Formats: sequence, C-alpha cells, structure tokens
Amino acid sequence: MPELRGSYGDQPHHILTRWFGTPDLHKLDVYADKAGGYTALRKAVVDMAPADITNEVKSSGLRGRGGAGFATGVKWSFINRGAPGPKYVVVNADESEPGTSKDRYILENSPHMLVEGILIAAYAVGANQAWVYIRGEYDEPYRMLNEAIEEARAKGYVGPKPFGKDYPLDIRLYRGHGAYICGEETALLESLEGKRAQPRSRPPFPAVKGAWGRPTLLNNVETLCTVPWIINNGGAAYTKLGTEKSPGTRLMSVSGNVNKPGVYEVELGQTFRHVIMELAGGIAGGHELKVFWPGGSSAPVLPAGMLDTKTDMESLAAARSMGGSGGVIVMDDQHCVIQAAYRLLKFYAHESCGKCTPCRVGGDWAVRMFERILANEGSQVEIDNLLRVSDGLQNGRCLCGLGDSAGWVIDSTFRHFREEYEDHALRHECNVGKSAPPALRATSPQAGRS
Amino acid sequence: MPDVNLTIDGHKITVPAGTLIVEAAKTVGIEIPVFCYHHKLEPVGACRLCLVDFSPGPPRPQTACTTPVSEGMVVRTQSAMAVQARADILEFELANHPLDCPVCDKGGECPLQDFTFRHGYPTSRIDGPRLHFKKPIPLSDKIALDRERCVLCYRCTRYYDEVAWEQELTTDDRGVQSFITSQFDQPLKSIFSGNIIDLCPVGALTSRVWRFESRPWDMTHTETVCSKCSVGCSVTQWQRRGQLVRVTSHENDEIDEGWICDRGRFEYTDVNDPSRLRTPSIGGTRSTWSDAITAVVAGIQGKGSKLGISLAQDITNEEAFLFRKLLDGPLKGARVKMHGRTAIPAPAGPTMRIQELDEARVIVVIASDIENDVPIIDLRVKKAVSKRGARLIVVYPEGVDLDRHPGTVHINYEKGGAAAAVRGLATHELLENPGGLVAILFGDGHGSEDIKDLANACGDLAQKVGGKQMPLYRATNERGALAAGVAGWDKLDGIQALLSWGPPPTGGVPKSARFIAAWDHLPRPGYENAVVLPATTFAERQGSYTNVEGTVQFLRPPIAVRQPQKDGWEVLSELGAALGLRLDYPGILPLQRESGLHAPDPNPEPVPVLIGPSHP
Repeated sequence: MPELRGSYGDQPHHILTRWFGTPDLHKLDVYADKAGGYTALRKAVVDMAPADITNEVKSSGLRGRGGAGFATGVKWSFINRGAPGPKYVVVNADESEPGTSKDRYILENSPHMLVEGILIAAYAVGANQAWVYIRGEYDEPYRMLNEAIEEARAKGYVGPKPFGKDYPLDIRLYRGHGAYICGEETALLESLEGKRAQPRSRPPFPAVKGAWGRPTLLNNVETLCTVPWIINNGGAAYTKLGTEKSPGTRLMSVSGNVNKPGVYEVELGQTFRHVIMELAGGIAGGHELKVFWPGGSSAPVLPAGMLDTKTDMESLAAARSMGGSGGVIVMDDQHCVIQAAYRLLKFYAHESCGKCTPCRVGGDWAVRMFERILANEGSQVEIDNLLRVSDGLQNGRCLCGLGDSAGWVIDSTFRHFREEYEDHALRHECNVGKSAPPALRATSPQAGRS
Repeated sequence: MPDVNLTIDGHKITVPAGTLIVEAAKTVGIEIPVFCYHHKLEPVGACRLCLVDFSPGPPRPQTACTTPVSEGMVVRTQSAMAVQARADILEFELANHPLDCPVCDKGGECPLQDFTFRHGYPTSRIDGPRLHFKKPIPLSDKIALDRERCVLCYRCTRYYDEVAWEQELTTDDRGVQSFITSQFDQPLKSIFSGNIIDLCPVGALTSRVWRFESRPWDMTHTETVCSKCSVGCSVTQWQRRGQLVRVTSHENDEIDEGWICDRGRFEYTDVNDPSRLRTPSIGGTRSTWSDAITAVVAGIQGKGSKLGISLAQDITNEEAFLFRKLLDGPLKGARVKMHGRTAIPAPAGPTMRIQELDEARVIVVIASDIENDVPIIDLRVKKAVSKRGARLIVVYPEGVDLDRHPGTVHINYEKGGAAAAVRGLATHELLENPGGLVAILFGDGHGSEDIKDLANACGDLAQKVGGKQMPLYRATNERGALAAGVAGWDKLDGIQALLSWGPPPTGGVPKSARFIAAWDHLPRPGYENAVVLPATTFAERQGSYTNVEGTVQFLRPPIAVRQPQKDGWEVLSELGAALGLRLDYPGILPLQRESGLHAPDPNPEPVPVLIGPSHP
C-alpha cells in the first residue's frame, strides 16, 4: 500500500479521499465492496438519461480542477450528442504543473475512481472511446491505471455492453514524452494524434473540433474523479460544501518549506493559513513564511501578509492570483525570491513549445536578464527589460497560457518583492539569509545600500 | 450566406461571410502585418504579429488571421493596444535575428524589414548575444537554409504538409532552440521544394542558384508563362543586365494558385550561358542572316520525305502556324517529330479546365505519374482531396505520391492494361453516386498503352459517371502544335536533311542526315558542318502557348531580343519567303490575328506591385 502523504479517512469534507488508506483499494473488488465503487456507473448507465447526467453535474457547480476552473457541467453540455460520427473523451493526466501531485495521489490510491468517472462522462456526452493522456514519467500510476482498466474490462464495465446496456465503452492509455506543454489541452490533442505538441489556435475549441477533428471532452483527472460521488449523492449535496461559486472540495498538493508536505483535501473557502499552517504543519525549521504560490507555479504569488486569503476561485481572483492546479508551493524567509523566479523562468523557457513568438523569444530573454542580475551585472535596464518581457507575455499576446504564466511569475514577484529585485539589480546584493550564494554577499565593489 | 458588414479603422465595408479580418483589411488597403499567415495555407495564429483589437470580443487582442468577420464588428488596428502589441512582437522577432541585411538576399523585398519600418520600434531595447546556429545549411543543391534568420513562422513545413504532401521538411527541438531541418539531414528531393523560397518571409530560405546575384531594385521583371511543361503556370521572370537572373511564382488562381515546380524555378541558367549563340554560322564560320537563310533553303528545299523536321516542345503557336504553312507548301511531305509529346491525339472537343478540379467530387488519375508529368496539377489534385473532400482513384502500375493519402484507392495494372482497368472502374463503388463532377485525367503511360483504346475507355467512363476529361499532354505547347497540325510523331530514320527547330532530337541526329540546319541557342557537338541560326530562348521570345486545358497564354519576355538575333517567328517568315511563300508580317500581332489567336487585352486589370513574392 502506498505511503499516504495527505488526506484520508472519514471526514465530512473528504469526498475524494474518504477511502484512501483502505488496503488494496486499487483492486476492483475492494473498490466496489468497501468504497461503493461502480454504483454510480450502474446508476448512470442503467437508470439515467445522458442529458440528466450532464444536468446533475451542472447542478453541482463542479469546476475543472486542472487549472482553468471552467464549469464542468457546462463543458459537458458543449458536446453535441446528436451530431453524427464519433466523439471522444480525453483525460488530461499530464500533471506537469510544478508543485502539483494530486492526480498522482489519486492514481496511486484509487485508480478505479478515475475509471468510473471516465465511463460516466463518456456515456453522458455520447462518446464510446476515451483516451487517458498520462505523463510519461508516471510509471507506477500508469501501471496501476492499466491494471484497473483491465479489471474493469474483465468485469464488462469497459466493453461492448456495460451493465447490459448496448453502449460500447473503451479506454485507452497514451504515455507522454516529457513536455509540460502537453498539459495544455490542444497541445495534448496534437501529441495524442502523433504530431508535434504545439497548441492550436482557439476557436475552434475541442468540444467542437478536438481529437482527429471530432467533438472531444477534455477533463482533468480530479474533475472526473468527483463525478461518481455527484451521481451517487446528487449535485445539490455537492453545493453544501465550499462556497457559492466554488462549491465542493479540492485536493491541494502542499510542498516546499513545510513540516508535513502532502496532498490535502480542502473544502473550498478555507484559508491558506489553514492549509499551510494547520494541515501542512507550518513552516519547517522554525523559520517564517515569506511567499507562497497558491495554484502551481503558474499562479501569481502571494506574500505572507496574504495568508488569510481563501482558497476559493473568487477570493483568489480578488487577490490577483488564481486557483490553478491547487499546487501550493511554500517558501520561507531563508530563500531568495529572485533565485526562485529565475528557476521558474528557466522552466518556462525550457518547456516553451516555440510556436508563438513572445513565449519563445521572451522566455529566453527573461532568463538572460535574470542571469545578468544574479551575476551582479544588473541595472535598471535589466529590470525594465524584465518588466517589458513580462508585459509582452501577457494579455493575449501568446497562443496559450504558458506564456501568461511566465509573465505572471515576473509580474507578481516584482509586485510583492520589488525591493529584492532592486537589491540584486541596482545594489548588487542579496539580503536573504542562508540560501544566498557567497558571491552575492556584500563583497562586490558596488555593494552597500545606496 | 449573406455578406457581413463591419467597420475597420473607421472604414465601413461589406465582405463575404467567413472572410478573415486580415483579408477584410486588405480590401481597404490596411496592412495588418503577418508572418505565419499565408492566404494559401491554413491559418495558425502562431507568430502573433497580426494582433488587433476588436469588439464585441474579449478585452485582449486577438489574431486577425484566425478570426473571421462578424456582423457589426468594429476592428481597430491602430489602437494603443494593437500598435504596441505589433511593435513588441517585432522587437521579439528581431531579438535573435542576425544583423545580416547587408549580405542577405532577402534585403529589399523582405517583409521583416518592411514591417519593422512600418510597424516596429525605431530602436531595440533588447540587446545581448544572439542565438547562433551553424549556417548556411544546404537543404538541397538549390535551396539554402539560414537558421539564425528563421522566424519560425512554419510556412515552409506547413506548405510541405498541407500542399505538397511531403514529409521531408520538419522542425526539431523545442522552444527557442527550435530549428527547421530536413528529415535525417537528407537533401530535399521534392519537385515542389522551391516554393518555400517564395513563402519564407525572411532570408532563411534562399535560392542557391540566385545567391548573391542581385538586389531586387536592380532587376526588372515581367509576369509571363513557364515553358517547361504543358501546365503553363504563371511565373515572374526577373532580368538584370540582359540576363535572366531568377524565376519566381506569380499567382494565377485558374491554373497554378501561386505555386511553381522546381523545373520552372531553377532550370533557366542556360539562358545566360556565355557560349550562347548570337550570330548565324555556316559550317562553323560566321555569316550574315541572308546567307544563312539561303544556305538553309538550299539544304532543305525539294527533299520531300527525305527532310526531317524536329520541333522543340516549347514551339510557340505562332511558329507552329508558320510551320503549318511551310508543310502545306514548299516542305510538303517532310517528316515531323515533336519533342516530349505524349501519344494522345488532339482532343475532340473542349476538355476539363484545371480550375474545375476544385469542384470535383471524385478524381481519377490514369496512366500518368502527374507529380513528374504535370506537377502543378498534382498539387491541385492534392488540394481537392485534402481541403475539399474529393475522393481519389489512381490507376497506375506503380506507387505514386498520391498514395500517401489514406483515402486514395490505387488500382494497379500490367503495362498495356490501362484501358481494361478503366473499363473495370465503371462499377466502382466510389463512382456509383459521386454526388458531383468526376474528373478523369489520363496520360499515355509513357508510351506503354494503346492510346486510342485508352482514350475511348475514358470517354465512355466520363459519359457513364458524369465526368469531364483532361487528357494530360506533357510537352509545353503540345496542344497548340496539335491544333496547328504540326505535332508530328514520325520517325526520322533515313532522312537526308534535318531541320532542327530547338535542341537536337532526343534520339540523336540520324546518321543518314547529310545536311543539318539548326535553330538553337547553344553550340552542340556534331554541328560542325551545320547551318546554325542563333535561337531566342523562352526569356526573349514572343508568342503564345496553349496549355493542357486549352487556354492560350501569351509570353511576356523580360529580355529583349538582342541584335543581331531575330525572334523565331521572324526567322520562319524569312525562311518561308525564301522558299516562295508570301509571309510578310510587320510584327507579331498581325501574325497572331491571321492565325486566329487574339492579341492580349490591351487593358489588363492592374496587378498590385509588391516587390517580392513573399508578401502574402
């Protein structure tokens, strides 16, 4: 049984993780007997009409858990069931957002939850074939998901007549080849089709023209895993938790300078103080919180002073950040924000697909500006250029969100930690404790506050 | 669908529904700069240069090349948001672009230069070491690739994928390290490779044949017709100091849609060969025109069928008309062999036009490898299949490039069995209910088929399934020569005198020929005792060709005939006069009028002049 790094057990808000920790939960018979698995699928396929399934999901107010937070039921309704020809369900299991490991947590503990969610979704939108695009690095989760699908196939849930209903359902797996951009839905589709993974221009959206030109429903793993509970308990029950516009719970992967890093199921509306200080046990080593990324590295940062920001999407938007993938990266006051921002820009520049000009060129230039600053060769010019690049990456300039994310890293860290930028660029010093490399301490000729 | 009304920068316009904003702007002369967009390729919105502001719409700029117009839309290309977005993108493009302008062939016709002047910042604030690649890379012996100049607009790879159905050009690596490369670093082999030179908006893809030859403003150019095969694509021929320095495409939507093949693009250097013949000669000694004509007449007169006439594949209609007069009169009985022609007889009536391929629902290609025979028609067939949903049946004994499409039905036959295979098609499921025009294209299988039988079979098929036929003539003016009755097919064995109008016969000069008179532009071995008249090439000659579909197109040569040379029709008139005919034409127009061809419209619609072929 995998080591449980996070939520499990019977708590009122444990919708997804209620049964985690049960020995052999990844086996179908345990999932079915102990966790009530596949009752939702039976109910959906045997007792409900597809349109009703979609309506149930709509009424739950469930929002996508991959990053964009789009209303899931509404997304399902975009697929025209009546249109002739095949439709597809594609599951985004690429999980490459830095700081995010929730989908892996689900797949390592309860892969059948995903299988059930996929089958219900496929039935609801009129698809017979589902694809799971799982990142290539997820070796063990891939193996476990594969076994789960084969168990489901042996039981007939995946096959020509699930529960005796004349509606063939199939799930196939596709392993990614190590690119963050494949988490972007249209780049994922390109990769699935065997082409170079670069996003497409939208519109048309995948619901109209997705995999192989067919109407396609693309959902995140966690989103689909929530569906069986909604079908069993009703959409209205889901709205009893969370906030009005962000109902329910979500899995937050907490990592960084905390005592208890892990994947925690959190009722939306709880504060980040609860998540970081209580669930994750506070800052390790007796240090102080400095900054945290609330939703993966692509979410604009929040400083320690905003620890009481709530975890629902609206509160985060008001704080000029976003819910993103729920990956909470925590950094204490021993670490340099400029170093962190530099590391993240290196990530985005490396992962840039190269299709659109601003991300391809701007990401690389931002990295170079950071390198100059961190090598004590900076000046106001480098700061201005960083801000210019950041501006050039945002506001619709780029073809997909990767560019915007890179821009937000610069933008948000500058907004909250301007003095650190100026320390490095203008005064050639770093005033952060132990993590600053020796070269950055006050030994250069220009050192010393001006 | 009804037309759409919208406002662009204050101009109220009406355009057909589905028009992209970038095209709608062109109708009122507003330039929205683009790199990745090309009107012949699917839009991708990759370069982000065409960002504009429009309402109703999201509060961010959107790409004009991917957004169709909508009723009541208000587009602003000059708002602060749009102007700054464009300048920013250009600054990014230039950030890694090498300062090669002084040595780059694109300078002067370069959209990057032009757009930077018109839409970019006057100075760049981004400075530092640029990204370096090994350069130039020879993509083939005709095309050079400079990866540092490349702006990754992907026009070249998309053209290869979408239009040419080839896989040999691709992108490697990721992000800022991306570069264009050929598969496995092998030289490009496709006959359609040269079009990427026209498509490339910067100097990344350049012609090695034209390398360092000229600046655009030092050349003059004409829009004329290619002379390499029967399709008759429109081309632009550029001259400098009396030399034909390059050939690029010219868009004619009825025939070539702006593409040309590598034969037309690169096979022109013989025009500039320093050993070009400029004066007549008899037995190797320079002579006057009148002496040479007299010598020719002496050699060919009164020989009957002992005279063989070899005609070039690109003989003009006017020359063909004059040859007809000679063959009806003083040269009666001579044997005539035309280069490069197929065995297909003259058409019985009007044949299908190339443009009609766009509307075909099923296309049947029989006994011809059209990629090599009529290349640009091959591209048009590919377009009909991949962009307009036409079905394709190929009837040929070997695999062809059209088989790359998964929906292509390929029917093999043993050599000689084409007609039978066509008859078998009458019951094919794809032809039961084609739902529209069936296009039947047939060649002669390079001589392996009984062409009469095949032509009959195709005619029967056309009648049965509601089809139109396009016999695939190969020689440049095969149809014109057939119409004039001079597209001869005779064997030249045993002739005593040879009049070679064009390059020597492909089978060689028959040993029996004791007298040779040639109209040729280069010296040839074996002509030591011949009477040689210096020929004009396609870059200088006036006249017209009739292309494969029957359209008469007029040559507009970029280079004037250089004294003391004379043009072909002039020489033939003098020859005819010396042989006793009354052929006295003060110019080519009266000749064309008499022959039944009409002179070109003196007031053609003005073509917008953008100096380079890469501006979309």
